Amino acid sequence: MNKNLLVIVRTVVMIAIAVVALFPIYWMVMSSFRTHEEIFKYTTLSPELFMPVRWTLQNYKDIFLDPSKPFGRYMLNTLFVAAFVTACGLVVNAMAAFAFAKLRFPFKKLLLTIFMSSLVIPYEVIMIPQYLLMRDLSWINTFTALIVPQIVWVFGIFMLVQFFSDVPRDILDAGRMDGAGWLRIFGKIVLPTAVPAMITLGIMTFLNQWDSFLWPLVVINEEKKQVIQVAISSFQSLRNISWGKIMAATSISSVPVLVLFLFLQRYYVQGITMSGVKG
Amino acid sequence: MKRLKFAAYDKQESRAAYLFIFPAFLLLALFIFYPMFRALLISFQNYNLISTRSAFAGLDNYAKLFTDRDFGASLWHSFYFTLVVLPVQTAISLGLALLVQRKFRGVGFFRTVYFIPVVVSFAIASTIFKLLYNKDYGMLNVILKGIGLQGVDFLSNPDISMWGIIILCIWRAMGFVMIIFLAGLNNIPESLYEAAHVDGANPLQRFYLITIPLLKRTMAFVVIITTMDALKIFIPIYITTSGGPAGSTSTVVHFIYETAFKQMNMGYAAAAAFLFFFLVLAISVVQLRIFRTDVEY
Repeated sequence: MNKNLLVIVRTVVMIAIAVVALFPIYWMVMSSFRTHEEIFKYTTLSPELFMPVRWTLQNYKDIFLDPSKPFGRYMLNTLFVAAFVTACGLVVNAMAAFAFAKLRFPFKKLLLTIFMSSLVIPYEVIMIPQYLLMRDLSWINTFTALIVPQIVWVFGIFMLVQFFSDVPRDILDAGRMDGAGWLRIFGKIVLPTAVPAMITLGIMTFLNQWDSFLWPLVVINEEKKQVIQVAISSFQSLRNISWGKIMAATSISSVPVLVLFLFLQRYYVQGITMSGVKG
Repeated sequence: MKRLKFAAYDKQESRAAYLFIFPAFLLLALFIFYPMFRALLISFQNYNLISTRSAFAGLDNYAKLFTDRDFGASLWHSFYFTLVVLPVQTAISLGLALLVQRKFRGVGFFRTVYFIPVVVSFAIASTIFKLLYNKDYGMLNVILKGIGLQGVDFLSNPDISMWGIIILCIWRAMGFVMIIFLAGLNNIPESLYEAAHVDGANPLQRFYLITIPLLKRTMAFVVIITTMDALKIFIPIYITTSGGPAGSTSTVVHFIYETAFKQMNMGYAAAAAFLFFFLVLAISVVQLRIFRTDVEY
């Protein structure tokens, strides 16, 4: 029947697209296990093209042991910066979001508008003065430059405002009656209800920082303080660098993130959906 | 709830609110608003990092931009890129969303797989594709030659180098847009489709008469976001071609980056950034007007 044919066609199309989506990643991981000679050896269609013949971990050893390009160091740098920004960002943004969502105070609308208006300011415009500001503060080549300007995230504040507005005001007032201060109410009553939202925001912040490229490229020139994405791009400008090493570097910096995503994808996808539907 | 008078605000509550907002506000003022203001000032100056002298230049930077061929070319490349990516990527993503919208066995697997490229960072995706595109040893050309086609020199032929970058960007972004479309599709009530089915509408009619009109808000969001992101394309350019060959892939942000941090000409770069900003803003406003929706459901 016609309908069966349709299902078959659809399934074939879906599998084909899945192959396109996954192939570059598969190829990256496979190449990272190849020896230097092997990568350039097979230039015709053959099974060897899709699977290493002699599996090797040499590429991984090389990138971690090379003292001029200490890859482990780059990973630790990035991890440190991303974790720090995520932790500070969650606190600062959640506090602001709570005030906007639940508290009553003069000039709330005006302040909210000011926060909102920052969303139209493009990064390209403020990048140059931000760099000059870092220079004036002597923050160039420090992690402070990577962390402090990245903490506040207005999009994150708005996402949390949506979540916090569902918290009934009565609970807050009840907390007040019991003599709890606002900080306590925020920490003990409001935050626990927003754990999924905080996870979502946390993942998005962390991934943004893990992927961060342009800003570190501009403010970090010292080899030892570089972050992972910029380090990978600088690998390619080296002469005679083996593709296997580049692929080992990209694999080791993306596969853990991919695995993490598989476990937490519900939260991540939810964050995107919210930005799309309410935006 | 009735409007509270100024005096009726709880003093303690107001104070708490300001304290809660203060850290975010301070960071915002220092790292977003102040730089924005300073960018405007710098754009009116001859601000060169090497000579560390800055002289007031009035509108000179802006006037110079209008006759700068490199800037013009970079603008054109950004627009060309966007004009291709916007329709192609939107269509592919909508197609993907429609494919995985219905619930059937294994649909979750496909959704996850289509989304995976989004999680790969732009720098890494660009690196992978740069090697995949390699003329002699790249997998893509090996496959093309293997099935009897001509190899394509994706990144070093000025005529098609932009296409290499376009493919890479669509590969990475399609899953992201798919998720947004999926959310939009799920907001359309199933009863509408059932009613149309009863009235004898075929699947194509249902798509054009129900799905597309009711997807207008989602579509507006996708179009505006895609346009903004596409116009600002930078990372893949920087990594795969550095604007070459022969400047054929230099986009506006790449031009700004080169001018500011390679030639150290901050004033000129800031002026270019501002000009570009107003252009993007104008385009977004026009798009918002076009998409202003009156469909309710």
